Amino acid sequence: MSALGHYLEEEGIATVAISLIRPQTENTKPPRALWVPFELGRPFGPPSDPAFQKRVILTALRLLERESGPVIIEDFPDDDPRAQPDPAWHPPFVPAAAADGSAEALAARLETEIQRLRGAYERWLAQRGRTTVGLSRLSMLDCGRWVGGKAPPSPHDGSSAPLMLRFAVDDVKAYYLEAGASGAGKPSSQQLGDWFWNETAAGAAIHALRETCLATHDERLKLIAGNFMVPAARVRGTG
Amino acid sequence: MTRLTTLPPAQAERLAALECPNFETTPWVTGPALSRRRVAIVSSAGLVVRGDNPFRGRAPDYRAIPADTKADELLVSHISINFDRTGFQEDWNVVFPLDRLNELAADGVIGSVAQTHYSFMGATDPVQMEPYARALAGHLKHDQVDAAILSPV
Repeated sequence: MSALGHYLEEEGIATVAISLIRPQTENTKPPRALWVPFELGRPFGPPSDPAFQKRVILTALRLLERESGPVIIEDFPDDDPRAQPDPAWHPPFVPAAAADGSAEALAARLETEIQRLRGAYERWLAQRGRTTVGLSRLSMLDCGRWVGGKAPPSPHDGSSAPLMLRFAVDDVKAYYLEAGASGAGKPSSQQLGDWFWNETAAGAAIHALRETCLATHDERLKLIAGNFMVPAARVRGTG
Repeated sequence: MTRLTTLPPAQAERLAALECPNFETTPWVTGPALSRRRVAIVSSAGLVVRGDNPFRGRAPDYRAIPADTKADELLVSHISINFDRTGFQEDWNVVFPLDRLNELAADGVIGSVAQTHYSFMGATDPVQMEPYARALAGHLKHDQVDAAILSPV
């Protein structure tokens, strides 16, 4: 991001960058940057908190009025209040794993789970008026069936099957995390992630899919499965 | 929060050690007061308007996001899965603060908001983005933009 600032500024556009990784910004030395102490993915802080977000953006934009520089790297002083867990939040009910731990049983549980979460997902749509599901352009049941091990739907737009599979995995995550956040309370990303990866059939199926893909001889599939399905913090055996 | 000590050790090490371009110059563009600036968002979240082609791999190009894009039309197609997406799912302003910019413009704090905003895919090597970034500057100037807020994920 700081490098983009450098190029744009060289072309005559004044820039201010939000910085999430301070050491990277210090190395790149952009004209102006505001480091924020928020988690990756939240450059402007907490969702649904316009006043807080406005303070972040205005603190950044005010750096454009400084007369001394380059380089300016300032620190935003306040943490994201939504980073804290909300004890009032409870995830939607999902059936517990059956004793039969077969791939078929997991795939069946995943399909049932997707249908059960439909109400929670539609509640989210009604509350927010939007969804971030849609990269794969597949139905959620098709996404789930593919993630659960069934044959892939036909590729479209020239996208390769591994890329389409990645988008299907992204769509499953988005569907679940939106459904999971649709009830009372303001869950932190950690709470939602704990629920998805530890309690749902979808989380278990994506872990299993990753292992299956890593055992193939398709190098592109292995690359995508190894890096772009399960977050580093959730890969089993590493934390 | 993104203090490196809060991330898994391997991820923290990788992020801190990421190779950054070493620039020989330190450009610095000044401009009018904030209340007269026209501001654009340039994101590296791999944002795409629904229906546009998602970013594939580490593509170096960018996508245009018209200012009349609705929140329901914006998706994240960033290749990395190691950042939170639940904030964006709840409120796009967490990544793409268009509503906040419009409010600041309505209040006269900034001059105006650009007609078009842009997104790159931030996991791409910045050196490969350079020609696209320089071309983007031309589009920004054409839109009379004189301030860009750069938003990572």
